[in-house]
Amino acid sequence: MMTLPDLNVLRPASVAEAVEALRAHPGARVLAGGTDIVPNLKYGMYDTQHLVALRGLSGELRYVRESAGPGDLLLGAMCTVDELARSEVVKARLPALADACGQIAGPQLRRMGTLGGNLCLDTRCVYINQTHFWRNALGYCLKKDGTVCHVVAGGKRCVAAASNDTAPVLLALGASVKTVSPRGSRELPLREFYVSDGIHNTVLAPDELLTEVRVPAAAASRRQAFAKLRTRAAIDFPALNLAVALDLDGKVVRSVSLAVSALAARPALIKGLEDLHGRTADALFADELGRRAHKQCKPLTNIGIDPEWRRELLPVLVRRTVLRAIG
Amino acid sequence: MSIGERFPKSDGVVKADGSGLYTDDIAFPRMLHAKILRSPHAHARIRSIDLSAAEAYPGVVATLVGSELPAKYGVIPWTQDETALAVEKVRHVGDAVACVAALDEQAADEALRLIRVDYEVLPSVLTPEDALAHPEIKVNEKAKVGNITKHVHLQFGEVDEAVAGAAAVARETYHYAGSTHVPIEPHCAVARMDADGNLTVWSSTQIPHYVQRELSRVLGLPQSRVRVIQPLLGGAFGGKSDPFALEFCVAKLAIKTGRPVKILYTREEVFYAHRGRHPMKMDVTLALDRDGRIAAVDNRILIDGGAYASFGLVTAYYAGQLLTGPYRFGTYRFDSYRMYTNKPPCGPKRGHGSVQPRFAFEVALDEAAAMLGIDPMEVRRRNFIGEFVETVNGQKITSNGFLKCLELVEEASGWKERHGGKLGRGRGLGVAGSMYISGTAYPVYPNEMPQSGVLVKLDRSGRVAIFSGASDIGQGVNTLLCQIAAEEMHCDPREVTVVAADTDLTPVDLGAYSSRVTYMVGLAAREACQKLAAKLQAAGGATFAEACQRAEAAEGAPLAATGGYRTQKLGGDYRGGTIGASPAYSFTAHVAEVSVDEETGIWKVEKIWAAHDCGKALNPTLVEGQIEGSVYMGAAEAQMEEMVYDEKGLLFGPSLLDYRIPTSLDTPELDSFIVESIDPGGPYGAKEAGEGPLHPAIPAIANAIHDACGIRIRELPFYPHRILKLLRERDARGARGKERAAS
Amino acid sequence: MRLSALIRLNVNGEDHALAVPAQRTLLEALRYELGLIGSKQGCDKGDCGACTVLARPRGAAGRGEAILSCITLAHDAQELAITTIEGLAGPQGLDPVQRAFADCGALQCGFCQPGMMLSARALLDRNPKPTLPQIKEALSGNLCRCTGYTKIYEAVQVAAGLRSPAQRAPVRSERAEASDSVAQPVKEFAP
Repeated sequence: MMTLPDLNVLRPASVAEAVEALRAHPGARVLAGGTDIVPNLKYGMYDTQHLVALRGLSGELRYVRESAGPGDLLLGAMCTVDELARSEVVKARLPALADACGQIAGPQLRRMGTLGGNLCLDTRCVYINQTHFWRNALGYCLKKDGTVCHVVAGGKRCVAAASNDTAPVLLALGASVKTVSPRGSRELPLREFYVSDGIHNTVLAPDELLTEVRVPAAAASRRQAFAKLRTRAAIDFPALNLAVALDLDGKVVRSVSLAVSALAARPALIKGLEDLHGRTADALFADELGRRAHKQCKPLTNIGIDPEWRRELLPVLVRRTVLRAIG
Repeated sequence: MSIGERFPKSDGVVKADGSGLYTDDIAFPRMLHAKILRSPHAHARIRSIDLSAAEAYPGVVATLVGSELPAKYGVIPWTQDETALAVEKVRHVGDAVACVAALDEQAADEALRLIRVDYEVLPSVLTPEDALAHPEIKVNEKAKVGNITKHVHLQFGEVDEAVAGAAAVARETYHYAGSTHVPIEPHCAVARMDADGNLTVWSSTQIPHYVQRELSRVLGLPQSRVRVIQPLLGGAFGGKSDPFALEFCVAKLAIKTGRPVKILYTREEVFYAHRGRHPMKMDVTLALDRDGRIAAVDNRILIDGGAYASFGLVTAYYAGQLLTGPYRFGTYRFDSYRMYTNKPPCGPKRGHGSVQPRFAFEVALDEAAAMLGIDPMEVRRRNFIGEFVETVNGQKITSNGFLKCLELVEEASGWKERHGGKLGRGRGLGVAGSMYISGTAYPVYPNEMPQSGVLVKLDRSGRVAIFSGASDIGQGVNTLLCQIAAEEMHCDPREVTVVAADTDLTPVDLGAYSSRVTYMVGLAAREACQKLAAKLQAAGGATFAEACQRAEAAEGAPLAATGGYRTQKLGGDYRGGTIGASPAYSFTAHVAEVSVDEETGIWKVEKIWAAHDCGKALNPTLVEGQIEGSVYMGAAEAQMEEMVYDEKGLLFGPSLLDYRIPTSLDTPELDSFIVESIDPGGPYGAKEAGEGPLHPAIPAIANAIHDACGIRIRELPFYPHRILKLLRERDARGARGKERAAS
Repeated sequence: MRLSALIRLNVNGEDHALAVPAQRTLLEALRYELGLIGSKQGCDKGDCGACTVLARPRGAAGRGEAILSCITLAHDAQELAITTIEGLAGPQGLDPVQRAFADCGALQCGFCQPGMMLSARALLDRNPKPTLPQIKEALSGNLCRCTGYTKIYEAVQVAAGLRSPAQRAPVRSERAEASDSVAQPVKEFAP
């Protein structure tokens, strides 16, 4: 029906081989579960012919384990989101992550899609996620083959939306990611992983692979909740999603993190919440968080669902999610 | 198992075990794959097409352009305004321009990119208002005046007088967005020409007979040399009841290359083929006398037709002609314009032309009744038109089980205890009713021949073969034929072979549209079976097989009989009076229960109770399936379906991810009831069940939203942002009211 | 001739060797190379579920989990054991899921149903007595346009032995007079 171009698919058997393959083929893209890249390839969204398939890395990169010492939770990038949703360990320690994973796409896609794939999910916009024919009829756009942004008049920076559901949760929980490249491996906090560029919204270099997510041990004791707004209750990408994590001492808030996404290219960690430490965790507090999110977040026309409505909804969703987290 | 019983579908096993063949499952040795190049412009003149690079591409075997198939076609003979590929002009984004056949799909796709088309972009009109205001921007030369496909103005009685004297008048504007069918199977066609000049086309079509006629005309082949076969079909809903570009392209390319050729539309192409529900702007006036009886209805409708006529002539009539039951009107007027615009063409989608006006009507009825303090159930009962009566526009209603439908949904939903704000803020019930045709008197092209024919043959083994031209599109007509045979001849319905929808082998049936199949094919089949039953009865025998042998011996020839359905003369005695005139009408009532989150505007249909009078359920399982599927489709349009275009006529989101249909988690609980009014004309009393049950869903939901939170939504889809806006307006009115009261 | 490589697929318990290009999807390989036309193309990009097949690692027990074959590369399916709709029936005839779908009227046009039946089969393999919400969730990646899903749920419950098929009888409506003939005269005619 929709044909793929001639592809050269490299099938490394180890992380080292995978990184080498990326280095040797500039422009090559990673094929993990394929749930995003294969449809996008059918849409002709990428020019490369080279794919580096990671199926052979399942042995190395598919695990849920605890680190020695601090007891951080380590999640291999090749875990499917379905197994994370079902994992007893994840459900017990990181219930918001299990919840988010269980709401990604639909049942079949969850069994195919990986954690790494979701964190590195390409940004989305109604003007880019279409066939070549359609984009040509449109006149193309900033993200590919064009010079105009159809979302922001005169815009010079792509604002395609971050559309992953694991990102807000892991941001709120203070996770970090480990990557491997020909230059070695590095670990960086997730909040430094995303950038405000819809064309490529992570700091991953073309020859760099995300291999592991580390969630601090303390995350397990935080009250946490995730919410996803979408038109249908299955399959759809988020129209808005958010995650909140709180440290409570009885009813007193010790700290709070709130992440909101499906806005522009960068999942947003709501800023300046430090003055709320010491407040009582109650409805007024939840309202205040909602107000702050509303002030800092501006949904766009990039994903085709009324952005003013989504902006009005955000404080309501935040409030309800915070109250859910508090319990 | 015969009439009235839940006989499992005759094609159940081949659909369950995966062996059944749909058109894309058919392949032949040396078959080529073809792809169509489409226009990126909404309106443009084609200056030139350069195929040289495409023709030279490895794997390409042949190409095709519009000038090779210049004959115009179209399903309605008076508005044949389409060509297989564009000749001189393209009229919408996605219009077909050229075709390439290659050894595999990938080569065909790659070669398409090498075709150079030089377009002169023309100004376009994208709304019916613009189309009216700019007759000089001529979308389609078929229009005699400006961009008007059809204008219908019909009046019955003194409407203005009646409105002026009325006790309650609801006068509002309603907007219905366009929606499309989304069959899970995309269009597909395969063609093969043999060395003797016989062309065979397999196609996922609801209208094999019309496709045969049009192929013959456009290709310049005698109709007797053209064979159209409809394999198993994966959903249609009216989206496959036109002839389409792919059918002509595969045929012509098969002739050109001497090889079989297949085209399978991508999902995106299905959106450009479209033929879906027309967007309508409706100004509706509904007037009640002080006893709540309908004094007058006046409807002005502006219909957005897209670039080609398709069934648009009929749409312009149906938009008004199908509203005159189940309630009686004293006077009635409607004025409809169906306009050409530079967008994919609209056509018949389940409940063709009447779903939109029914929505407006049923909401207006509730609103006017509320002005008089009359309960919505009561106002519908009070206006019941009766049985064996003629409507204000000359349609003959025979059996009418509408009151029973209302009674059932009223009872099942707990209406009396639960409607009228009794469920608390944010939850409510709504009711709506409707009427629909069981086929029409109008055979699409004028002729004196039967609309349906069936041939039945008996074998000495006791095996029955039924040859039927009818399209089984999943509704189960082939199964009904087995049951009719069993009912009349007392054979085993599992020992019936149905040969269907093959123009070489089966008698003509005009197609699966306007809900004609059960009624018309059913009558034809019954006639044929009754003829044979008489012979079997006379021959006698201990078993069915023995009776067949004895009867054949008596006959001295194979035992076979035919039956047909002849179009009756129906309808009012005025121009257009036959359009919408049906031998029998079905009736439906829904109650919907919704919950509305007033903080967000997000709402949910919790449950729909649907009662449908189908005259007689020849197979209750199949009828329930039609009711449930129809209700699902109506609720889907209320929730989330809309064709949205940008300012250059480009359709947003031609995919199943962007154009959303409800998943299992988005579908309300559906409780369906079958009502049997036993129609004197229908086969065993049967009337239609395939389209009628859709209509009340949308207004029932709108009326339920009003019960839940006091707002009237008059624009589809009922997006949460629209609901929220209306809630805010309601609150502002309330605040102003309180201020006034306080001051 | 496109550059192809030899792959081995295990489908319905049988090994097949085929030469396909790297970009061939599992759905294309099943339909066009192996002639297993039961899996369908509805959208070809993972939005509708019509291409659903069951997959498990080779050597694993059971039939596997539901995945989408239109966005799986054929080469990547080599390490899997695949079950298509054709592999569900056995020497005893149709699988209970197939039998129930056929008997309960869950099959209208039938096009989405191979995928739907396989998703249902995978659910019952893992959870033999599912609740209605669990059924809905398991099937939420399979779009159906014909049925409104109602008879599909019923068929799954019947296959699971949780209920028998619906048997609600039609209701007769008696001859009904018009509400009144005074205010709005309407011509009557003999039936």
